[in-house]
Amino acid sequence: MEGPLKELAKLEKLTVAKGKAPSVADSLDTLLHSLKQIRESVGVSEPIGGEFQGLVHLVDAKKKEVDERQKEVYSSMSRFGKALDKKFSASLPTYSDIFSSPASEAAIERTIALHFLRTGQLDAAETFIQESGVQIPSELRTQFEGLHCILKALRGKKIGPALDWARNNRTFLKARSSPLEFLLHRSQYIRLLLSTHPPNPIPAISYAKDALKPFYDEHEAEFKRLTACIAYLPLSRLQTSPYADLAAPSLHFDLEPIFAKEYCASLGMSRQVPLRVVGDIGGGGALARIEKGRKVMRERKSEWSQTDELPIEIPLPVENRYHSIFSCPVSKEQATEHNPPMMIKCGHVISKDSLQKLSKPGGRVKCPYCPEESLTNTALRVYF
Amino acid sequence: MTSKVNVEGILLFEQPFARVPYENYRKVFRNSQRNVERELGAVQTTASDLAKRASTGELGRDEAMSAIDGMIGRVENLKRKLSDLQETAGKPTLDVMRERLHHLSTVESIQTTSGSEFSRWADTRLDRWLVDWALRSGKEKTARRIAMDKGIETLVDIDLFTDIQRIEGALEQHSCTEALAWCSENKAALRKIKSTLEFELRLQEYIELSRSRNMLEAIAYSKKHLVPWQDTHLAQIEQASALLAFPPNTRCPSYKRLYDLSRWNNLVKSFRLAIYNLNTLPTEPLLYLALYAGLASLKLPACYDHATKNVDCPVCDVETGESAPKGLGKLAEEVPLSHHANSTIVCRISGKIMDEDNPPMAFPDGSVYSREALEEMAMKHGGKVTCPRTGSICSFLNLRKVYIS
Repeated sequence: MEGPLKELAKLEKLTVAKGKAPSVADSLDTLLHSLKQIRESVGVSEPIGGEFQGLVHLVDAKKKEVDERQKEVYSSMSRFGKALDKKFSASLPTYSDIFSSPASEAAIERTIALHFLRTGQLDAAETFIQESGVQIPSELRTQFEGLHCILKALRGKKIGPALDWARNNRTFLKARSSPLEFLLHRSQYIRLLLSTHPPNPIPAISYAKDALKPFYDEHEAEFKRLTACIAYLPLSRLQTSPYADLAAPSLHFDLEPIFAKEYCASLGMSRQVPLRVVGDIGGGGALARIEKGRKVMRERKSEWSQTDELPIEIPLPVENRYHSIFSCPVSKEQATEHNPPMMIKCGHVISKDSLQKLSKPGGRVKCPYCPEESLTNTALRVYF
Repeated sequence: MTSKVNVEGILLFEQPFARVPYENYRKVFRNSQRNVERELGAVQTTASDLAKRASTGELGRDEAMSAIDGMIGRVENLKRKLSDLQETAGKPTLDVMRERLHHLSTVESIQTTSGSEFSRWADTRLDRWLVDWALRSGKEKTARRIAMDKGIETLVDIDLFTDIQRIEGALEQHSCTEALAWCSENKAALRKIKSTLEFELRLQEYIELSRSRNMLEAIAYSKKHLVPWQDTHLAQIEQASALLAFPPNTRCPSYKRLYDLSRWNNLVKSFRLAIYNLNTLPTEPLLYLALYAGLASLKLPACYDHATKNVDCPVCDVETGESAPKGLGKLAEEVPLSHHANSTIVCRISGKIMDEDNPPMAFPDGSVYSREALEEMAMKHGGKVTCPRTGSICSFLNLRKVYIS
């Protein structure tokens, strides 16, 4: 943004300080001053022609001055506009009527309402639900309100509500081998440990005995670290010890996202905020790439071979790879139910169509990637 | 993999963000220019008038005094107006311009998308998109609520849409006055983008005169407001002239069309288009453009197969107790599928992408998972692994290594 910012600074300066021409206010002031003088002189003597001729010149001169100044501002403004044009050379595409059907509009409204609820913007959710009349099951709303109650408590250093939830959902958490309950206790333990000056570890130790010990089997190493760190108190020393991570505030702050993730998972919801995920991908280069791809296609005057598939690949961050994709290395086609991935005896995987094309009389196939030859019918359909 | 911030891709969305306050500032400037012309122009006229009359000796003292008082009044008035304009409109608009550019500079300086700084920026961007969407779809309360809760009033264009609402409201009441005023305010810019909105509005006013059978007035109106467009709109002007010969209840199709009240709705659309165009705002909400590209990047056939759905995938849009997707998955039906030239195999147990260090392993029945996940399972269960999908059990040693090239 350097270019536009530089031009903006110049423009701002023009509105307060002097440019080449005096500021408009100054010009008007001198004009006023002269007008008042003339008025005074007229008050004491009869008006004479020459005096007014001078006035005409003065007014014209001042008008010219003001015009000059305005022109200066105008060209500075235009330069800023040009700097903007230069910075934003590409304009947004038009996808007419996208998401405009009633069904899509309803889907958008629902998505947005859930987004507000999920991200804890409960006031916005309330306003929006009223204004749009979108129907969100009250059960869902209660669940989200519950989530944000607990998160608020966590922010206020109260782990009670979160712990209650974790206990009630222990089976679920265990099945996911989630450490949530242990992490909640850990945070509480560390708070107890660091709350006394000079350090008195007794309450913390007794807390560890009651609350942390049941998790000993699953978190043996961490349990030992938690008790060993007592030897490094007080806080200032702990912070420079091998246990510095236990003194970091993130140990407590991180509980919020961890909790939200487990809570959402228990409701069958995604770990990330879906609208953010899609928006970040779309607004983080995907649209630019799609448009570039389209432009290239247009220039080559070729249509997409498949209009229901993008012409180019959009690279995705690892955390946004939700599904396995198998592209046959021989045919470059994506696997489908009719053309599934097949593993040849040697372990290499190609698509079923390619396998059939490569198979020789006698039902044998030579792997295209290694010297091994095997029977076609020993190839195994694999499921990713 | 692609955690680097793609500035170019991000800025594609931000032209209107920078442009709208700039257009606002230009408006403020034009306003100041108009004031200068009007007041100083009048002062000039008075001055030369005084000079002329003084030279012929017909100027009395009192008259001269009151004329000069009038001039002083005008200049003082102009000075006050200009400073008010600068204080209440000019300065705040410049501040908004600066703030927005700074907001964009922030993202230019962020290196990776994984940090909290980017996350905060992207949160704000989504909030801005939501406000834009709410404003465009007439949900002003929601828009204001978000803007206030997030403190992003200067980063969204509520005022612009308040203007739009006011002008469109007038059009819906069958009045062109507000829209025409807007046209004259933005005359030069509209000419530059070759907008014919003003002609359309003028034509409508003419049609209304004809509807009320106000022939003489209609002809006068046509002379004054339609004829100036003859170079580009002659055919339409001719047709409009002929309209006077047809009463409002005519059955003749091409004239019936002119009398059709649905033309007012089209005017609303044309006006929107023109004001969006002027501010480089896209015709679709920014949110839609982002969603289109985002959903298309993610959409796979697997998202629509019950067996391969993933709770975390936004396109799969899994909601407990819902049979069909009702949110993002529904929207994704409108976008193309993503394209992939290379394989990516994601472990269904750990969610991790498999590679040489964590290669895929197959059960004898063909189910594939990552070695890491299976090793962990084997360690806990005495060397035995269970397929979570089929329930088949085998020894870790019976798994086969899979090669994906």
